[in-house]
Amino acid sequence: MTRLNVLLLAMVMSTAFYLVKTQYESRRLYTEFDHARSEARKIELEKEHLEVERRSQGTSLRVEKVAKEQLHMKSVTPAITQYVLNPVELQDTKVQEAKLDFNANAKGKIQNNVEGVLSP
Amino acid sequence: MSRKSVQYTSSPLLASKTPIWRSQFIVAAIALGFLGLVVRAAYVQVIDNAFFKRQGQVRFVRSVDIPADRGKILDRNGAILASSVAMPSIFASPEEIERDPVKLKALAKAVDMPLAELQSKIKNEEKGFVWLKRMVDESVEQGVRDLKIKGVGVRKEYKRIYPEGESVAHVVGFTNIENEGQEGVELTFEKELKGRNGSRRVINNRLGQAVEDMGEIRTPMDGLDLQLSIDSKIQYFAFQKLKEAVIENKASAGSVVVLDVNTGEVLALGNYPSFIPNNRVNLNGGQLRNRALTDTFEPGSTMKPFVVGLALERGIVSPQTIIQTGGGKYNLYGHVISDSSAHGAMSVNEVIQKSSNIGTVKISLQMQPKDLWEIFTQVGFGQKPQVPFPGAVSGKLRAFKTWRPIEQATMSYGYGLSVSLFQLAHAYTIFAREGEFIPVSLLKKEERATGVRVIGAKYSNEIRNMLHMVAGPGGTAPKAQTMGYSVGGKTGTAHKVEGAGYAGHKYRGFFVGIAPIEKPRIVVAVMIDEPTNGRYFGGDVAAPVFSQTVQQTLRVLGIQPDMSVKPQVVSKAEVESF
Repeated sequence: MTRLNVLLLAMVMSTAFYLVKTQYESRRLYTEFDHARSEARKIELEKEHLEVERRSQGTSLRVEKVAKEQLHMKSVTPAITQYVLNPVELQDTKVQEAKLDFNANAKGKIQNNVEGVLSP
Repeated sequence: MSRKSVQYTSSPLLASKTPIWRSQFIVAAIALGFLGLVVRAAYVQVIDNAFFKRQGQVRFVRSVDIPADRGKILDRNGAILASSVAMPSIFASPEEIERDPVKLKALAKAVDMPLAELQSKIKNEEKGFVWLKRMVDESVEQGVRDLKIKGVGVRKEYKRIYPEGESVAHVVGFTNIENEGQEGVELTFEKELKGRNGSRRVINNRLGQAVEDMGEIRTPMDGLDLQLSIDSKIQYFAFQKLKEAVIENKASAGSVVVLDVNTGEVLALGNYPSFIPNNRVNLNGGQLRNRALTDTFEPGSTMKPFVVGLALERGIVSPQTIIQTGGGKYNLYGHVISDSSAHGAMSVNEVIQKSSNIGTVKISLQMQPKDLWEIFTQVGFGQKPQVPFPGAVSGKLRAFKTWRPIEQATMSYGYGLSVSLFQLAHAYTIFAREGEFIPVSLLKKEERATGVRVIGAKYSNEIRNMLHMVAGPGGTAPKAQTMGYSVGGKTGTAHKVEGAGYAGHKYRGFFVGIAPIEKPRIVVAVMIDEPTNGRYFGGDVAAPVFSQTVQQTLRVLGIQPDMSVKPQVVSKAEVESF
């Protein structure tokens, strides 16, 4: 009887210690998890910050300024633009153009300029 | 004690027999007391334990906020127009702050604030919390942290950043320091953008670290990202050209609206003067006004196409019908209606091309006021535009029953009613959509808008042809022409109303048009308010902005030119296989 009691006491004590250890471990891990979570949040905020920064470096206002002042570029107009089409679509476009040309000639108003570019 | 004193054992008091019930009564009372304690203990522990449990938790469980992010505002291509970033804010606790003069001086320097101001902020020692400086740079934050002053701390706050600056300021609007929308889309879509903060309960240890999660009270909900229909490139360009025109013409203000007629999306909406949303010091009401939607004016000649369109539909005239406009003066009910010059007999086409008031009046007088009122209403005049903007106005269009005959005549050439530039641009979509009036949208959408028919496609195309002639040789707005794209539109110049009458030399010049004319893709409306540099006609001040905006917009949309262009640079093009 005494033996059994001692055994039970030992078992109770060991599970109690184990419980305390597990509880401690779980709290330690949770602290770590919480820390990682706030770190993730911090990184997320930084990413947001960087994205905004990237965008503000690439706004039309800045691009135009740099293009004009540093790279000495000029604005394009249709007169200095060449429209190049995908050859696969070219066949379809030519058919459309023929129609357009026909319409334009019929009305005597519109001339299409792209064909010179399309058939070099 | 004397020897004569009574011995305990022989005490006469003990000699008397104590009644037994007394001891029994005491035992029973004590037992009852214990029973009461047991019952109470059982009640507290088992039956009604919620109160004590709660009281226990209050003492060790902390509630922590989980902040929700405010949604971003994006343009149609996903470029950021407004976004929140976390910024450090410096606070102090006057209760606890170390009042060491040397340290305070260093702190004042770190937050760039006069020492006196800092001292006045922390004067009240009973206060637990005051902001010293909100939304500072990270270098300031580091400087403050390095000082290690007790009672001074840093908290993260959200600041709204607007990378596009003044060009899109009126559309996007802005938020206040508490991150609440105050103007524009920020205000209208406040509910969607805001989101909802969440919170969770944790057990903190002595060091303030969370050691156990007690569950979420409320899940945070981030605000929704809004994708607008605005194209930031088109917006920037249109705004820039408008700004140049306002400055060049020494005007007081200007607005521009670009609509996509396929989808009804607003591609650009700009006003000048504008403001830089990130820096709102010394702002005035004029800068904040979204003029394209809040300012109304008499639309002048831009109304003529609607009157003529209705007359075509009713079969009253055809484009070739000859109208006699005489010597440029026409007497009607004792009022003189005049044209800019004597045009004599002209076709309906020419009435629009040369913008003849007399011609339009003669056409309009053949119709009933109700019919005119109906078409004006159908294209949105006198009604609030269905766009989500604070302060959008409906303009003025009186009920047809109150029109006098002379008013019917003046309204046909745009006097006696008022519209906003946005309404005007929206109304012109009927000529771009073959007679259909489509709903407009400020949010991105892909599908083609379905409209309500106002006039027949045939008549709408006839009007479009007339609008094309306006921008052609002999029209009122040759400056609207663009390189490579065919355009059409109508000029308008209106005397500004001041008090009860018209102001002497104050005008508003505007132009609203369609491009490309054969296969319309956009409607652009431009208004220049009070130009004072000699020219004030819409064809002179607004049409050039229209021309440049159209050209750039169609390029950005990837639309091929429909007119021949004389090449300036000759180089060989090589078609490569893709």
